[in-house]
Amino acid sequence: MPIRFANVHKSFGAKEVLRGVSLTIEDGECFFIVGASGVGKSVLIKHLVGLLRPDAGDVFLDEEEVSRLSEHALRPIRKRCAMVFQSSTLFDSMTCAENVALPLRKHRGLGAADALVEARRRLAGVRMEGFADALPAALGDGLRKRVAIARALTLEPEVVLFDEPTTSLDPVSARRTDQLIARLCRDDGVTAVVVSHDLSSIFGIADRIAMLYKGGVRFLGTPEEFRACDDPVVRQFVRGEAEGPMEV
Amino acid sequence: MSTAEPGWALPAILGRRTLALLSQLGGLALLARDLGRAARPEAGGLDRVELVRHLHRMGVRSVPVIAATAAFTGGIMVLQAAPFVEQFGAKDFVGFFATFVTFRELGPLLIGLIFNGRVGANNTAELATMVVTEQVDGLRALAIDPVSYLVLPRVVAMTLTMVALVLVGDAVALLGALGVAQVLLDVSLAQFLDSALSRLETWDLLVGLVKALLFGLGISLTSCFHGLRVRGGAPGVGRAVNASVVASAAGIFVADYLSTFLLP
Repeated sequence: MPIRFANVHKSFGAKEVLRGVSLTIEDGECFFIVGASGVGKSVLIKHLVGLLRPDAGDVFLDEEEVSRLSEHALRPIRKRCAMVFQSSTLFDSMTCAENVALPLRKHRGLGAADALVEARRRLAGVRMEGFADALPAALGDGLRKRVAIARALTLEPEVVLFDEPTTSLDPVSARRTDQLIARLCRDDGVTAVVVSHDLSSIFGIADRIAMLYKGGVRFLGTPEEFRACDDPVVRQFVRGEAEGPMEV
Repeated sequence: MSTAEPGWALPAILGRRTLALLSQLGGLALLARDLGRAARPEAGGLDRVELVRHLHRMGVRSVPVIAATAAFTGGIMVLQAAPFVEQFGAKDFVGFFATFVTFRELGPLLIGLIFNGRVGANNTAELATMVVTEQVDGLRALAIDPVSYLVLPRVVAMTLTMVALVLVGDAVALLGALGVAQVLLDVSLAQFLDSALSRLETWDLLVGLVKALLFGLGISLTSCFHGLRVRGGAPGVGRAVNASVVASAAGIFVADYLSTFLLP
């Protein structure tokens, strides 16, 4: 399911976040969107599932224009295009198993008991079976994120949007999350769009990278090209230098 | 907020308040419309798992506080009336008076206000927190309609629960009234029941239940509306709860007045 952003603009009040972003993400690609905090990376991917609407420009999923669809018309799109939020967005009032069981119950037609059995199996897939009956509030950020990934994958989506999936994870869990994302793309043909600052992830599993800066695309290319880029702004980001031309 | 010219401050305030009120009423009407759409099976229909969860949480767990309040209220009602009952020798009217007032007015009104404070406020806080922590966006991203999944079961549960709690509260309030009448006024159970049953009509009970239904519907819609339209993080949640409780309480009194007027 190829994805295309065509000249997308988005402002919040007087703050212009996206100023004409154009990008194409190919089928089955592991595509990273990087950039400084607040540059609009999460804002951009939220347009893909209609959680935000562009002020101008279009967003296409599989050549279908999604940015003007109604909430009702977006539902089939959202079943094919899952999202793992930065804050996990697990439902506080439900256990981890119930969180994962919810989309199975609502969209796979499973009864409550069957959905819970399947949810436990899915949690085992992200090494979280021991926390099935725990409430999300009792878990740390990293564990919540793994449950959120299990929940997002329940409907076997063709595209998964990961918003900072390795932030707040320990290095081992972060690399395991990278492996999971890479496996999804390689073995299952899933298109992964990953918003991240994590250079280990970026250089470990990305097929291509887009760097956003000042509301536009500053760099687009492979990890090798990203590392070798002589644009001072890109170079400062890659090297993680405090001093340089980058305005944050 | 713009500042008005001198002399126009009051009309400007009135205008803003009127617009805010109309905005709320319009929002409630749109939510009611969305609820109607969400109730259709093809839109998701009523989530029974959520309905049962809310019936238990909002209804069963409210019984102790409702029962305690109702028992004291029933007792206090007779306590207040006792000197006049003795003065006018009106013991034969105590049962009727207590039952009539409880069924028609005191039961639904008092329980409505308690329900608003306990369940309505909690509902607004929960939904508002879900909005500010992106849980509602998470639901939308899972292709689940928030109105169908979050609002519809709550509205049905709160409306049914309110009617059931008024029935329970009425019964407990009358027990409280009977207890105080026996101790203070020496009114027997038979005298109390005879006084009530010989003068009461089924309609008197039904009027109270219709009020309970209206109050339950109003509290549920108002609390969901304010919860879902929260803005501005944790302080916004506080403001939403405050606005919801105040609007629902005002709505209860307006609905009570109108229903008392229309249901003689």
